[in-house]
Amino acid sequence: MLGMSCVLNHLRAERGFLLRLQRTGQTQPCLSGQLSQRTLTRPFSRAPHSAASQARLKLRTRLAVTLLFGGGLLGVWWYVDSEKQQRLRQQRVEQLRKVALGQGAFSLLDHTGRRRTKQDFLGSWVLMYFGFTHCPDICPEELDKLSAVVSALDRDPSLPPVQPVFVTVDPERDDVAALARYVKDFHPRLIGLTGTPEEVKHAGRDYRVYASAGPKDEDGDYIVDHTILIYLLSPDGLFLDYYNRLKSQEQIVESIRNHVHNYVSL
Amino acid sequence: MAAPTSAERKACWEARDQLWQCLDDNNDKIQSCQKFQRDFEAKCPAQWVKYFTKRRDFLKYKEKMQTEGFKPAEGPRVNS
Repeated sequence: MLGMSCVLNHLRAERGFLLRLQRTGQTQPCLSGQLSQRTLTRPFSRAPHSAASQARLKLRTRLAVTLLFGGGLLGVWWYVDSEKQQRLRQQRVEQLRKVALGQGAFSLLDHTGRRRTKQDFLGSWVLMYFGFTHCPDICPEELDKLSAVVSALDRDPSLPPVQPVFVTVDPERDDVAALARYVKDFHPRLIGLTGTPEEVKHAGRDYRVYASAGPKDEDGDYIVDHTILIYLLSPDGLFLDYYNRLKSQEQIVESIRNHVHNYVSL
Repeated sequence: MAAPTSAERKACWEARDQLWQCLDDNNDKIQSCQKFQRDFEAKCPAQWVKYFTKRRDFLKYKEKMQTEGFKPAEGPRVNS
């Protein structure tokens, strides 16, 4: 009983330094204090009516101590966990840097007919998606998601504007006019990129995009099977991250926010 | 042939959803859903009709695998 009150005193006096106490083993003076206390104050008999109030007091203080202790542990856990998350994020960026996608220099036409090279996009964050305008459902859904992500990021004043880009994997049908018709259904800043089959293949190769046109039917229509990924490029033009169909809009926004805040310019 | 516009895409998806709803209600009996089937084929490019039909088959198959389980294929016989 007396030992408990000794520990309580320590905790009450130095709440924030509970862990330091434990680590540096400063419970020593407590133990010695406990010993001296025992010799000085022998357990004396207490009147029955104050025993009940003593018990209640002890319960309240014990509860307070438990909560403090628990809160302290939670705080430590939260801190360690956030450090771990940060470390994992950095590891991932390192791995992606090693893969070094998007090293080459593409040269394509945008949906207004203007020529755009990779140089033109340096200095801004880019969210890039490869698809084609005749896509039944996946490309419109992913572009809707991408547009929503960019709009959400636009609303955050602490973040620079992100440039959404749509690159076609179907240059035979997706010319400048087709792209112009297509991109206006999505985010106003969305840029569509196309070019000759050679130019498009070159850009796709840079980002290791798989694309394979299916068989043509009697209308000459066909579906292009392709990688369904949204790529995040840093202002240095380096590929930093990618998001597949399973990533929600909120997850992508959170991830981009982290990348922007942790970004260290080369 | 120009790609479908946003409005045309939405019309096609709605027709597809109605057809799939009908098929769900009628236990995949195509005969009961002829009207929806015709509407779907009218509103969607032929290539998309093929794609969505295959997609439904895949989704049904996936559902079956997830609920009923499957028997793993027997591997190559090892000659001891």
